[in-house]
Amino acid sequence: MALIRVRFYSLWRFHFGADSVTLHADNIDEALAQLEEKFGSRLREKLEAYGIHLDGKIQDYSLILLNGITLRNLKSTDLKEGDVLHIFPPVTGG
Amino acid sequence: MESSRISKDIVRCIVESAETYIAPDGKKHSVVSLKIVASIADSQRISAKEVEITALKQGIIPRRYLRNIGTIGIDGQIKLLQATVAVVGAGGLGGTIIELLARQGVGHLIIIDNDCFTEQNLNRQIMSRESNMGEYKTIVAAKRVREINSTIEVTKFLERLARENAQKLLSGAQVVADGLDNLPSRLAVEHACRCLAIPYVYGTIAGFSGQLMSIFPDDVGLSSIYGSSNTILEQGIETKIGNPSAMPAMIAALEVQEVVKIITRVGKPVRNQILLVDATECTIDRIELGR
Repeated sequence: MALIRVRFYSLWRFHFGADSVTLHADNIDEALAQLEEKFGSRLREKLEAYGIHLDGKIQDYSLILLNGITLRNLKSTDLKEGDVLHIFPPVTGG
Repeated sequence: MESSRISKDIVRCIVESAETYIAPDGKKHSVVSLKIVASIADSQRISAKEVEITALKQGIIPRRYLRNIGTIGIDGQIKLLQATVAVVGAGGLGGTIIELLARQGVGHLIIIDNDCFTEQNLNRQIMSRESNMGEYKTIVAAKRVREINSTIEVTKFLERLARENAQKLLSGAQVVADGLDNLPSRLAVEHACRCLAIPYVYGTIAGFSGQLMSIFPDDVGLSSIYGSSNTILEQGIETKIGNPSAMPAMIAALEVQEVVKIITRVGKPVRNQILLVDATECTIDRIELGR
């Protein structure tokens, strides 16, 4: 299993109460499952307290990059030692 | 500017009208006032912008730009006056961007927005007032530019930018600044800017957070964050948490600084990285983007 770091930004950092965590995972799906287990319900509860209701898992309402590339553009979802996942909410206002 | 229109008589007239200004540090500058610029433009039948550029080329600083010169130099101010910048959207981000670009002295602004002011704009959109509800944002912004800096030329488009008309609307711009409020329009601007081979300064906000990135034609861009599909309709968290008063000004200021850096070549634009600003705990992070 690869040791990877997951970095949180903006509102997610605020509600997770942490800048980053380290995880052991072989692929993206495993890493996201661990994140959901550790932070998912907590994030939704905190957002609910602000009147914000989100359906689904963290990955359903987050932008997630692996080493600076969106998961949507990845050719492989395997993880290697030292990989960094960046995770933050989509922001499109003006 | 047509330099052939600037005769030796005009140059002499500007030089003879210059005054001396002693800066707080004791340094002396040759300067020219708003009134003199307007008077020479009127008497010589040239634009105020031509007077200002001619003065700067003689080392004479229009007083209005005195506080700009220490960072961008006289050459930088000339480049700005000769530049054309398109601002897409004249709301929260766009309104402040337009205000600051006018004060900085960008010579030609293209303003694109087909929206009108409503009451829910009043908390953050600097051009909105109780008295101009229902008025076109583009018209109000153009008027505001004239009031701030009458030297500046403004081209107004009361149109909604889309993929079909983006290149036409942005044609002639040297840089495009983002005042948009949705992802599909941003993807249309990015595509058009790549086709026109010009940089696009991307900025966006939600709640107490915002993002910034300068995308040059060969840079990685929005596809690094949102994926390569052109059919993505990502909804931002701002639909849930809104846009409070300070964030548009913060991100707009950063966007303007990127535009100034790109035009003057002073400093280093935020390229191939996304800047994530969060005012909740006052953090700024950068993520290096890959293809």
